[in-house]
Amino acid sequence: MLFSVAAGSGAIALCRLVLWGSPLRSWPNCAAHRSRSRLSSSTVHRCSAALQPPDVPRLADTARISLSSQEVKEFEPKISQVIDWFGQLQAVNLESIEPSLRADTEVSASPREDFPETFENREAIISAVPSYSDPYIKVPKVLNKE
Amino acid sequence: MYSIRVSPPGPHRFAFFAGPKPSLCGERVSARRSAMPSPIQNPRFLLYHRCLPLHFPPNPFPFPPNPRRLLHRSTAALSPQPAPAPQTLTSAVPPSSEILSIRESLLSRRKTAAEIAAEYLDRLRRTEQQLRSFLHVSETAMREAEEVDGLVESGAELGPLTGVLVAVKDNICTADMPSTGGSRILGSYRPAFDATAVKRLREAGAIIVGKTNLDEFGMGSTTESSGFQVTTNPWDVSRVPGGSSGGSAAAVSARQCVVSLGSDTGGSVRQPASFCGVVGMKPTYGRVSRFGLMAYASSLDVIGCFGSSVVDAAILLSAISGHDRLDATSSKHEVSDYASQLVSLDHLESKPLKGLRVGVIRETIGEGVDLGVMSSVQAAASHLEQLGSIVTEVSLPSFSLGLPAYYILASSEASSNLSRYDGVRYGYQATADELSSLYGDSRANGLGPEVKLRILMGTYALSAGYYDAYYKRAQQVRTLVRKSFKDALDKNDILISPAAPSAAYKIGEKTNDPLAMYAGDIMTVNVNLAGLPALVVPCGFVEGGPAGLPVGLQMIGAAFHEGKLLRVGHIFEQTLQNHRFIPPLLAET
Repeated sequence: MLFSVAAGSGAIALCRLVLWGSPLRSWPNCAAHRSRSRLSSSTVHRCSAALQPPDVPRLADTARISLSSQEVKEFEPKISQVIDWFGQLQAVNLESIEPSLRADTEVSASPREDFPETFENREAIISAVPSYSDPYIKVPKVLNKE
Repeated sequence: MYSIRVSPPGPHRFAFFAGPKPSLCGERVSARRSAMPSPIQNPRFLLYHRCLPLHFPPNPFPFPPNPRRLLHRSTAALSPQPAPAPQTLTSAVPPSSEILSIRESLLSRRKTAAEIAAEYLDRLRRTEQQLRSFLHVSETAMREAEEVDGLVESGAELGPLTGVLVAVKDNICTADMPSTGGSRILGSYRPAFDATAVKRLREAGAIIVGKTNLDEFGMGSTTESSGFQVTTNPWDVSRVPGGSSGGSAAAVSARQCVVSLGSDTGGSVRQPASFCGVVGMKPTYGRVSRFGLMAYASSLDVIGCFGSSVVDAAILLSAISGHDRLDATSSKHEVSDYASQLVSLDHLESKPLKGLRVGVIRETIGEGVDLGVMSSVQAAASHLEQLGSIVTEVSLPSFSLGLPAYYILASSEASSNLSRYDGVRYGYQATADELSSLYGDSRANGLGPEVKLRILMGTYALSAGYYDAYYKRAQQVRTLVRKSFKDALDKNDILISPAAPSAAYKIGEKTNDPLAMYAGDIMTVNVNLAGLPALVVPCGFVEGGPAGLPVGLQMIGAAFHEGKLLRVGHIFEQTLQNHRFIPPLLAET
């Protein structure tokens, strides 16, 4: 699984996103080179040479969704279209602008005390597990990728 | 004190958004939004880049503007009000608070909670076949109402929502009812806990009447992406109610319940409020705890309120707001009794909004917006002016960049948040003999196409090497958007705009073109990027459906200034003449 996020509905864990596995591809960050020359352009360019179009089967594998070939065919144009549209952000000069993690509307930064608490309704949580064999949550075997 | 009489909007002083602008850019600017924007490019982005020097002088618009100068700039066409929809009544009574009226009925013993609940449940059942707003209706509502009667009899103190039937969007966890998030992957899931907002509703005495339909996990603007059913608009059942909180909006609009909870990540409370002719409140990020709200985009999600009047939305907001130790992003900012600050019509002065500085967001009143919507918002601005406000135009630079930035951030965060739906600990589990197929097949079978699309797009945007090009840049755009709102709100008390570029469209109209659907969010997403509060109040109608289609006015305020928004919204609503927002479906039943 490529992404790991700290669990819990309250935590903003974006800063703790961990990328596992091999990256899809690495290439130079062309945005810095090209954006300056495109400041006044009214049409949008992407760094089309460097950013590869989406490899939908590969993405699906990364996201752990078993897509049928029919779905891949349907999704490919839609995803490409939307990602092309995302590309208009490449044309904007964003040098020296700090990225915002979130809205930062005076959210209090102090986390709660780090004491474990017993959640009373354990039975309800356990009864939601599809394959349970006390005290184990059962999953099928893990096969090594060939 | 004298009651206020506001004459119908007079000669328009805000000619700056009267009808089609003359084409100063050497190209035809189409007057009516006929086709949706080109899928490759949001054309409004193109328009502003090409025309910027001509339309918008580099110097900020002088405050206050010279009205004569405004008139000269666009005498092109002062578009007349559209032909009045059948809902126009000259002696329309403004909406009163259902919650307060229920409270009064209970305290005076005029009605019992059981009678009130029976009335609503009866209406719910009669309209549900056409509307399909609910995924689950409570089996214990009548019993809870009888318990309320016991409480009233005993003379105990009644909570602010005692006996009030509240519907809850199905992506908000309720321990005693299924919570599916609109998804088949959670089709039979029952949470082990209540969301904090639900817990607070119960503590206030509310009766949770059921769980409402939504686009799966909040991803969509029509409920057509629900894993279960499509909700219809009570104003015209061949049209969408909006989304993703379409069920919650339709339920309040059709009076199947008194008030409801929704969630708003990119407009999912405000746009359906506009489409269904109800009040929709999106609080400041951090105002209401997100504990128990199924996460879509954690930096953007908020829980919001629907009501048939501003007072009801205010009462609901007070009940659910406040710090929660279970939500690390919830704010300790104090919660006011928002409804207590809303005065009745009899106590309003003649210019109750005197001195209020209102900024109309220039980028929301041009190309791509339905003429009828613009006309309604124009009339609303005039109305605000007659109430004493100073209305001017304000520009939010980088406004149009907010839409792609939003979709990058939301898809990326969603790809991460939805990784928990893997068939292992809860929800639908596929049969598989090895682990990655278990994940892959459970997700493939349980998740709908729109959700898959967004997960894949988010996965792409966050992949190594792409992070800088997409996610990081989107966060930088977010900084720009926050700053431009802050600058605008330094010079204005509130900003106004339409809540959507059109009124409700037909079911099926946008299902095949994702960009066409995304384009409809242009009015709302920037507010989520900045985390600001916004209130949508019905302000007019456009033609369509058996009785016209409602249009909502969006009012945006500074962080934690929900009180100001609600005060202005309440005064606006109470003094709005000629319109009643009761859908025809209700008249029939």
